[in-house]
Amino acid sequence: MSFFGFDTSRHNPAATGFSQAHNPFAGLSNRQDEGDALEFEETYDGLGDQLEETGDAFNDDTFGDTAGLDTKPVGKDFDFFGSTAKVANAMEEEHVRFNRQQPTAKVSQPAPQPAVQNIPQSSAFGSMSYGYAPQPAPYKPARTGYEKYSSEPVAELQVDAALWGVAPKKHPQPAPAAVPEAVPTPPAASRKVLSLEEVEAEMRAQAKKAAQHATPSPAPPPAAIPSGPHQQIPPPMHYDQAYQFAQHAQPHAPQQPDHMRKDQAFAPGHGHPVTILQRPHDKQVPSPQPQVQPAAHPAAHPAAHPAAHHRQQPSVGMQPTQILQNPNRLSGDAARLGVRQHPTPTAPAGYPTHPVHRQQGSFSRQPQIITHPSQLAQLSEEEKAAYLEQEAKRAKRNHKIFLMSRDNGIMTPQDKSFVTRIQLQQLVSATGNPNEHGTDESLAEDFYYQVHSQIQGSQRQHPNQPLNNFAQTYLFQTGSRQGGMRRHHRGPENHMQRMEQQVQRAVEAAKNKPKNKQLVIEGSLGKISFSNAKTPKPLLNIKRTESTGDAHRPGSSHKQVHRGGDRKSELRTIERIYTTLMQMEDHDRNMPPPPANDAETDAIEKFVAWNSEAQILNNTLWESLRVHDHPENGRIHPFIALLSYTKGMKAMQRISRHLTHEQRTTILTLILVNLDSLDVVRNAQVTPETMQLNAAMRENVELFSGAVMSTLFNILNELDLDLVAGMLGLVCTRNVDVIAKSRIGASMLTMILSRAEIIKHGGGGSEQAWRSWDMTHTQFFDLIEPTLPHMFPGPVTTGDDIYVWQLLAALGIGASPDQQQRLVLAVKDRVMDTVALSKTLPQDMAAQRLQNVNLFMRSIGLDVELIQ
Amino acid sequence: MAEARDEGSAVSEPLDLVRLLLDEVVCVKLRGDRELKGRLHAYDSHCNLVLGDVEETIYVVDEEDDEEVKTVSKKSEMLFVRGFKDKPESNGV
Repeated sequence: MSFFGFDTSRHNPAATGFSQAHNPFAGLSNRQDEGDALEFEETYDGLGDQLEETGDAFNDDTFGDTAGLDTKPVGKDFDFFGSTAKVANAMEEEHVRFNRQQPTAKVSQPAPQPAVQNIPQSSAFGSMSYGYAPQPAPYKPARTGYEKYSSEPVAELQVDAALWGVAPKKHPQPAPAAVPEAVPTPPAASRKVLSLEEVEAEMRAQAKKAAQHATPSPAPPPAAIPSGPHQQIPPPMHYDQAYQFAQHAQPHAPQQPDHMRKDQAFAPGHGHPVTILQRPHDKQVPSPQPQVQPAAHPAAHPAAHPAAHHRQQPSVGMQPTQILQNPNRLSGDAARLGVRQHPTPTAPAGYPTHPVHRQQGSFSRQPQIITHPSQLAQLSEEEKAAYLEQEAKRAKRNHKIFLMSRDNGIMTPQDKSFVTRIQLQQLVSATGNPNEHGTDESLAEDFYYQVHSQIQGSQRQHPNQPLNNFAQTYLFQTGSRQGGMRRHHRGPENHMQRMEQQVQRAVEAAKNKPKNKQLVIEGSLGKISFSNAKTPKPLLNIKRTESTGDAHRPGSSHKQVHRGGDRKSELRTIERIYTTLMQMEDHDRNMPPPPANDAETDAIEKFVAWNSEAQILNNTLWESLRVHDHPENGRIHPFIALLSYTKGMKAMQRISRHLTHEQRTTILTLILVNLDSLDVVRNAQVTPETMQLNAAMRENVELFSGAVMSTLFNILNELDLDLVAGMLGLVCTRNVDVIAKSRIGASMLTMILSRAEIIKHGGGGSEQAWRSWDMTHTQFFDLIEPTLPHMFPGPVTTGDDIYVWQLLAALGIGASPDQQQRLVLAVKDRVMDTVALSKTLPQDMAAQRLQNVNLFMRSIGLDVELIQ
Repeated sequence: MAEARDEGSAVSEPLDLVRLLLDEVVCVKLRGDRELKGRLHAYDSHCNLVLGDVEETIYVVDEEDDEEVKTVSKKSEMLFVRGFKDKPESNGV
């Protein structure tokens, strides 16, 4: 019947864990000297040996399912407690007699026990039962369960042993004697176990007293032993002890080995460590105990064996499993429930009972929580119901606690904090330690982010600048906390508090997280996604900008092959460019600090070496770009060819960062000179009649304006007016019609014209430059004028023509009155159509369209309002 | 001059050719009568591939219908293709 796999019949009662159990008979243990202490073997009936240790599979069938515990009425056949109660009156008599004979409990007189013999007969007292409350003695403050690890337990245990070895103070005489005895001998041996007779005698003494103030009840002087002095006060325990003392703390009887049970029926319980290892069970094993005649075991309490100890075996109706509960709490519960708690008819036994035979008044008293069932009758129906309900709740909760607490204490606080630290470390490495400034480490952690932040450059001075949300959440103050923890010994509560706080902060952080699922940062190749537990952050989220139109792809690449050079060599060139770029970026990161003064020859040397290396790389890159190569016959310039590859476009931003001003200007010039042969210009022609490029080209155009145009715009903004005029002049040498009829071309033209306008507003530019600009502008205007009506992408219903209106506006601002008139004439139809269309559109769309038109109209001093 | 440089960084192993196809649309033949067509984002020496915007075509022989070959196609935004030494693989656009 050992549910934990221990052989309960063989455990060593002298072991520390057991020795601390209180010995209710300690005060009466002089019998050993008299030689009448019994050997265990004499009293052991051998029932335990007959048990099949493995035969407990059907216990539930036999004893019922614990689940039904709360509600199921329980039969009386195991109601040992009730059975005991039946003989209450007989016992009462015994008490009286005993008290006369033996004023003190010191003398152990094997008194005859008529009471027990009465058991079978006195069924008249059916539901009477003793109600004794288990009363934890507040000899220690409530424990948290961690004390075991704080190195005090040894002392504690010793205290326990001493404490319980002391005789109850009620009997002053034996007490002094008992203590000295306990010292020389091992604890287990020193503690004498009372004989049944002694116990009975003591009981009688108590019962007699109790009977005086017991509530009169229909039953003959029953065992209401309500008052404080009688209450058993088991030591409160913290968890580890609680485990050992499970039975002690838990008054309801767990199943016990049969040989231990024999006395239980008539020996109301003494919590005893003997049953430590037994699984608490709410079910009573129906057993023939009532029939066991105490006479057969007149002194069934060999000191050496736990089996000899009496155990209260309350018949449990709805009693919760309280094994692991802190006794203090139990009493607290009881207090809450009120003093007058009554077992119900269905649950004959009230609280687990511990009729106390020994330490009356020796410990601080606690309010009584268990009362005699007879008091139940005094309760109203409501009270009963409330009581039952509370009982049921408590039973449930206790069972839960028990289930959960089985593994308590497996990890020490040190283990826990170790695990916590590991977790925190993981968080740190997952989010990047804000204190870590080594570029190499941070690069290894997050190369692409570092590169991106370099490209973004000015926006972010410092790679670690904003501590991200995550890191803030978890790492805030963590360092100092850990430091503090090492210095001061921090208790387990703090540890738990910390975890709680962290969880709380994590939850808050999750709440505060931006609602958007992702964030698109300009210039990045993808989106930055926020992750949560359900949708983890995708590490690669590349925009699908250029590849949905797979179907079109073969066609466009086919064109490339026959118009451009060798496709393979172009691809190879691009790879070389990327390789060089990566080398340069790596080189940049390893830039030594510039020498502070001339004296630092080392630093100067390093710096010079770095510079020359950078120069070499720059040359390599420049050569790779093939800017100065001359196109072979009929083929487009190799550099321009690179820009027809998406990866070529994407490289532009990075390339531009590593080039000198002249090199950048050269590139811009080269692009403008070849503007009409650019893939995204030549193959992206629009007409007002047929619109819609194929998907692949649309995406290329999109990418080009994102990746290349911004770079070119930056380059252009560095240029002076004379160079801008030169650029416009270059454009004029090309096929302006083709250029203007593409989105990229038109935007490029807008860019150049606006730059000139900006310079004009800034008051820059020499007079000569302006003259040259005006000339070029006039030339350009003449060239573009025929194309003006045909620049629009698709019919007027298309929309998406804002870039055209931007170009028109740029033209209009710099135009002479004559040119303005020509402008108006050229695009008048489109203006009118758009205005007309806008009347049929929903308001916001209409407003959008009109706003676009107005870009142009305002530039020449008009407004769409005038037309309407 | 361009030619000379190209020879200088001559293709020394097949994977160098694969490198040229980074960020390009490639076709990959797989075991089990499957073909993938998608943009090559990454590869390694085992020819593990990461493809984007993939269209996967599975050729199924329909035995009931006189062994007529049917195709099933799937699309995936991003696909990791496990490289394996005996997996036939070809690339090209």
